[in-house]
Amino acid sequence: MPPIENDTGKNELKSQIQLLIDSNQVMVFSKSYCPYCVKVKDLFKELKLEFNVMELDLMEDGTNYQDMLLEMTGQKSVPNVFINKTHVGGCDKTMQAHKDGSLQQLLCGESEAYDYDLIVIGGGSGGLACSKEAAALGKKAMVLDYVVPTPKGTTWGLGGTCVNVGCIPKKLMHQTAMLGTAIQDARKFGWEIDESVKHNWDTMKEAVNNYIGSLNWGYRVALRDKNVNYVNAYAEFVEPHKIKATNKRGKETFYTAAKFVLATGERPRYLGIPGDKEYCITSDDLFSLPHCPGKTLVIGASYVALECGGFLAGLGLDVTVMVRSILLRGFDQEMANRAGEHMEEHGVKFLRKYVPVKVEELEAGSPGRLKVTAKSTESDEVIEGEYNTVLIAVGRDACTDKIGLDKTGVKVNPKTGKIPVSDEEQTNVPHIYAIGDILEGKWELTPVAIQAGRLLARRLYGGGTLKCDYINVPTTVFTPLEYGCCGLSEDRAIELYGQENLEVFHSLFWPLEFTVPNRDNNKCYAKIICNKLDNDRVIGFHYLGPNAGEVTQGFGTAMKCGATKEQLDNTIGIHPTCAEVFTTLEVTKSSGGDITQSGC
Amino acid sequence: MAHYEEVTVRGYDEFCQAISERKGKDIFAYFSGDKDAQGKSWCPDCVTAEPVVRGEMTHLPEGSVFIYCQVGERAYWKDSNNQFKKTLKLSGVPTLLRYGTPQKLVEDECFKSDLVRMMFTED
Ligand SMILES: Cc1cc2nc3c(=O)[nH]c(=O)nc-3n(C[C@H](O)[C@H](O)[C@H](O)COP(=O)(O)OP(=O)(O)OC[C@H]3O[C@@H](n4cnc5c(N)ncnc54)[C@H](O)[C@@H]3O)c2cc1C
Repeated sequence: MPPIENDTGKNELKSQIQLLIDSNQVMVFSKSYCPYCVKVKDLFKELKLEFNVMELDLMEDGTNYQDMLLEMTGQKSVPNVFINKTHVGGCDKTMQAHKDGSLQQLLCGESEAYDYDLIVIGGGSGGLACSKEAAALGKKAMVLDYVVPTPKGTTWGLGGTCVNVGCIPKKLMHQTAMLGTAIQDARKFGWEIDESVKHNWDTMKEAVNNYIGSLNWGYRVALRDKNVNYVNAYAEFVEPHKIKATNKRGKETFYTAAKFVLATGERPRYLGIPGDKEYCITSDDLFSLPHCPGKTLVIGASYVALECGGFLAGLGLDVTVMVRSILLRGFDQEMANRAGEHMEEHGVKFLRKYVPVKVEELEAGSPGRLKVTAKSTESDEVIEGEYNTVLIAVGRDACTDKIGLDKTGVKVNPKTGKIPVSDEEQTNVPHIYAIGDILEGKWELTPVAIQAGRLLARRLYGGGTLKCDYINVPTTVFTPLEYGCCGLSEDRAIELYGQENLEVFHSLFWPLEFTVPNRDNNKCYAKIICNKLDNDRVIGFHYLGPNAGEVTQGFGTAMKCGATKEQLDNTIGIHPTCAEVFTTLEVTKSSGGDITQSGC
Repeated sequence: MAHYEEVTVRGYDEFCQAISERKGKDIFAYFSGDKDAQGKSWCPDCVTAEPVVRGEMTHLPEGSVFIYCQVGERAYWKDSNNQFKKTLKLSGVPTLLRYGTPQKLVEDECFKSDLVRMMFTED
C-alpha cells in the first residue's frame, strides 16, 4: 500500500486510530515479532486486562499507521500503548508505569473509579442549581439533602432554607401584613369594609405551607427529570472521595465521587442561655408554627429579626424587639435606623442595649407564657418581661462542623465555621468546592448561591470560564417599610474612599399611594453615593420605600453597567412612581440642604 | 388479587363519592378525558399517558387506591368554571395526583414513567 499523501486520506486514518484509542480501555499498537511488544502484552495478560492489539506488521497499511502514530504521539517505535485514552509510551514507559502505580491510576480513570462524577451535599438554592446543571452537561450527579429537625421538632422538604424557612414564607407573610395595611388604606379610598377585620394565622400558615409543599414536589420532579440522583440522607465525609449517607431510619450507604460541592447552608444560632432551646423558637419554626404566636419577643437585630418582627406586628400582634447594639449590622446604618424608626412608629417596641440571660416557662400551651430575664449592656439593670413566644434571630451558623471535613483536609475558619474559597469556589482541597451561605466573606442570598452553583458546574463540565461576580449584588430587606440596596453602604464607602472623595445625593419622598391615606410622609428615603474620583460613578444605592425589591433590581443592572450620576440625571423618570426620585436627586448631603417633601 | 384497589368513575360527583368512601386511604387519582365508543379519549395526551401510568401501577403501595376518573366531554372540560378546575384546581388532563398532597403530575409529566414511579414508590 502506498504512503497516503492527500489530507482526506490522512484525516480518515487519524480518526480510525483515534477511534481505536477512544473505544478500548487498553490499546496496544504492536508488531508480532517484536520482543518488547510481547513483554507488554504478557504484562496485560498477567494483569488479566482486556486489551486490543493491532499487529502493524501483519496489516497491509501498517506503515501508514506507524507514520500517523508518530505524528500523533511523537513516537515511532512499537509497542505504542494507550490506556483510557492517555498515551503511555513504549515498553519501558509501560513497565515503569506499572511499577510506580500510575498505570493502575490510569486504568481506574476518574470516571470509572468513582460512583459519581459529582456529589453535591445540600439540596438548597445552590446545591440544586449546581447538580441540575452538572447533569444537564451529561455528568452523573447526586445531591443529598437532609433536614435535621429543630429542637422543637420542626422539619421540612427538599429545597433548602429559601423555599422552606426563608425567602418564600417570609415574603408571603410580609405580603399578608401589607394587605392589612392596604385594607386600612382602602377605607380612605372609599372601600367600605366592616370595622372588625381579623386575621387568621392558621389560614395563612396552611396556604403558605401548601404552596411550599408544591415547590418541594416540583424540585423532586425536576431532579428526577434531569437525572440527578436525589437522596434524602445526611452526608458526611469518611474519606476525601467518599461520603457516608445516613437516612432517617438510620440506614447507612456509602458513595464515592470524583468531585464534591459543599452547599450545606446555615442554621439559626441559639443564645446559649437557660431555656433557649427548650422554650424559644427560631425562624426555622415560625413559618409553620401550629398556632398564632401571640405576644412575641424577637431577640436580635438581623434582617431576619426585623422582617419577622415587622410582619408579626403587621398581623396585629404585640411585638417587642430586643437589640444588643445596632440594627442590621453590615448594612448602611442610616438606612437601618430609618427602617427601625418606621417600625417603632408603627407599634413595634424596641428594647435597646439589652441581652437576654434566661427564659422560663410560666405556663405551657399553644401558645404558652414565657418569662424572659434580660440585663442591660451598659449597667447592672435587670428587666423581666412576659411573652407568649420568644423568637431568637441573632444570626446563623454554617453547617460545616458535622460533615467530616477533617477527613478531607478542607480548611474551615475556626472562628466562624465558614469555608474560604478561591474566586472559582474551590476549597484548599482541589476536588472539593463550596457555594452559598457557607462561604467566607460572600453574600448570603439565594440568587448568589444559585448563580455560583450554576457557573461552577459550567466551568467544571461545560468548558465555561465565567466566574460568579460577588460585586454590586442588589438585595432587599423586607421590613414593613422595605429597604433595597446595591453596592456600598455609606459607612463602608467612607472607609474605602474617604469622605472628601464622595458625593452623597439624597431625598425624602412621599409615595403617591400614601398621600390619600395621609400616612408616612417624609419616611421614604433615597440615597446614592458617588465616587468623585471616578466620574461620579454610583458606588452605593439605597432606597427605603414601597416595592424596594422591584425598584432596586433594575438599578442593580445599571450599576453593573457602571452608571454615573450624570446618566441617572439624563434618565427620564416614570411618573408617578417612587423610583423616579433617582432621576432627580439634587440635594447633596454635604450641602445640608432641605430634603423634606411638601407635595407633588 | 391486586395489592391495590382500582376504581373507575366518571364526573366530579362520582369522584367525590369514591373519595369519601375511602377516607384515610392512600389515594392516587388519574384524570383523563372521556373515551368514545371505540375506547379512545378525545384528549391525545391522555392516550399517550395512559399506558405509561398503567405500566407503573404494579409499583402502587400496598393497600392504596387508584381512581381512574373520566372528567367528561371536551366541551365540559374546556369550561374554566368546571368543578375539577375550580374545586380540585386541576389545570390540565391528564393529571395524576396523590390525593390530599401537593404531589401532582400534569400533562406531559405523565408520559415519563420514572416520574410516575416516583409518585407511586416514594413518600
Ligand atoms: C428567614 C430568612 C429569610 C431569607 N430571606 C431571603 C430573601 O428574601 N432573599 C434572599 O436572597 N435570601 C434570603 N435568605 C437567605 C437564603 O435563604 C440563603 O442565602 C440560601 O438559602 C442559601 O442557599 P444554600 O444553597 O447556601 O443553602 P440552603 O438553602 O440553606 O440549603 C442547604 C441545605 O443543605 C442541607 N444540609 C445541610 N447539611 C447537610 C448534610 N450534611 N447532608 C445533607 N444535607 C445537608 C440543609 O438541610 C439544607 O436543606 C433568607 C434566609 C432566612 C433564614
